[in-house]
Amino acid sequence: MSCESWQTRVEAYVDAELSPLEMDSFRAHAAGCTECASTTLALIEAKGALRRAGHLYAASPELRARIAAATGAQASEATTTREPRKAAILSWPKWALAAAALVLLAAGLFFYAARTQRPSSLAEFADLHVADLAGSNPVEVVSTDRHTVKPWFQGRIPFTFDLPDLQGSPFTLTGGRVAYFHQEPGAQLIFTYQRHMISAFIFRDTPQLTISESAFSDRSTSFNLQTWTKDGLRYVLVSDVNAATLQQLAALLH
Amino acid sequence: MPLLDALFNFARWLTHDQTEAEDLVQETFAKALRGFDSFTLGTDFRAWMFRILRNTFLTSRTGLQAKLTVPLDAEDEAPVAVTWETPEALALASASRDALQAALEELPIAYREVILLCDVEEMKYKDIAEVLSLPIGTVMSRLARGRKLLRQMLAGHHEVATASKKLDPIR
Repeated sequence: MSCESWQTRVEAYVDAELSPLEMDSFRAHAAGCTECASTTLALIEAKGALRRAGHLYAASPELRARIAAATGAQASEATTTREPRKAAILSWPKWALAAAALVLLAAGLFFYAARTQRPSSLAEFADLHVADLAGSNPVEVVSTDRHTVKPWFQGRIPFTFDLPDLQGSPFTLTGGRVAYFHQEPGAQLIFTYQRHMISAFIFRDTPQLTISESAFSDRSTSFNLQTWTKDGLRYVLVSDVNAATLQQLAALLH
Repeated sequence: MPLLDALFNFARWLTHDQTEAEDLVQETFAKALRGFDSFTLGTDFRAWMFRILRNTFLTSRTGLQAKLTVPLDAEDEAPVAVTWETPEALALASASRDALQAALEELPIAYREVILLCDVEEMKYKDIAEVLSLPIGTVMSRLARGRKLLRQMLAGHHEVATASKKLDPIR
């Protein structure tokens, strides 16, 4: 497709609002067109500069208190109107409450057992990877430039990480997004290898991440995973590429 | 409450006034609590809150004065080409924080709000359309025009003065 046809859509590309197919074909076009590539880069930089400049004001503690007081008052009003329902529950026969408690306890134990039986959290990362690729916008920051992707995460995740220069390697960085795992924000970087997508998840290594093994193949889904910790951060690579290729990217990120 | 800070930041940019922005945010929260039934599950909660704030602002004194003016001739939905103004985009990217903030302050409010929602709050076009009660096409063309104006302001072309003269109230 020619440059002119992209002119009206380059901003939508920078806003990550094109369809995945259009995102791909623009990326392919920009790879061979310096004019489009430099415009895109300038627009990405401009968007980032605006974001930083626009976050100028924060709510004062007084406002925070005022709103907490106002919303708290309204909430307690709401609970007083709900009083009759509470009374109705209390007047239930005691045996019904005991039975309900037993059912809840049994259900809790069942789910606890089901959770602890799972070998590790790694399968959940494979789910995140699949869910993300199935979404309409796999990446939130679109860039092949590590100097754009890394700063984008500033203020979004509670840590920073190193991104290697991938020049000369078979991997290309296509972008990143914020991912959540057990209510913890972390970084998800998307790399491409030929036509394969590789997700690299980076999270703070917390005890919730019950990961013991370092490599893992999910037989039911045939995904390969690699994981390691470095400087208190947990890295997890997920992809459908073979284990050796994944190892190669892991070595670059180490 | 990160949403509180975001709402306050937006209110402060709209009103240019600390007290007014605080009142606006407080009223927004009160209205949201009262009208929580009207929130549809599955829609974006943040967009819903911003929409309440923005509608409250429109009925406030400053909101009525500002009248959210945009050039009438610009209000078509035709896509706006970036026309390869890489130097201007670079001027914006390399402008100092102060210069950017000053330019954003000066920008007509209809452009300022759409840029704040898209670039600062990083909302999706569909959510911005929801907040501003506009079709997506209008959001996109306003965004393109607003950014273009901002780029020109920062590149030293002071076209904002002439652009402002043509402004007419739209709502």
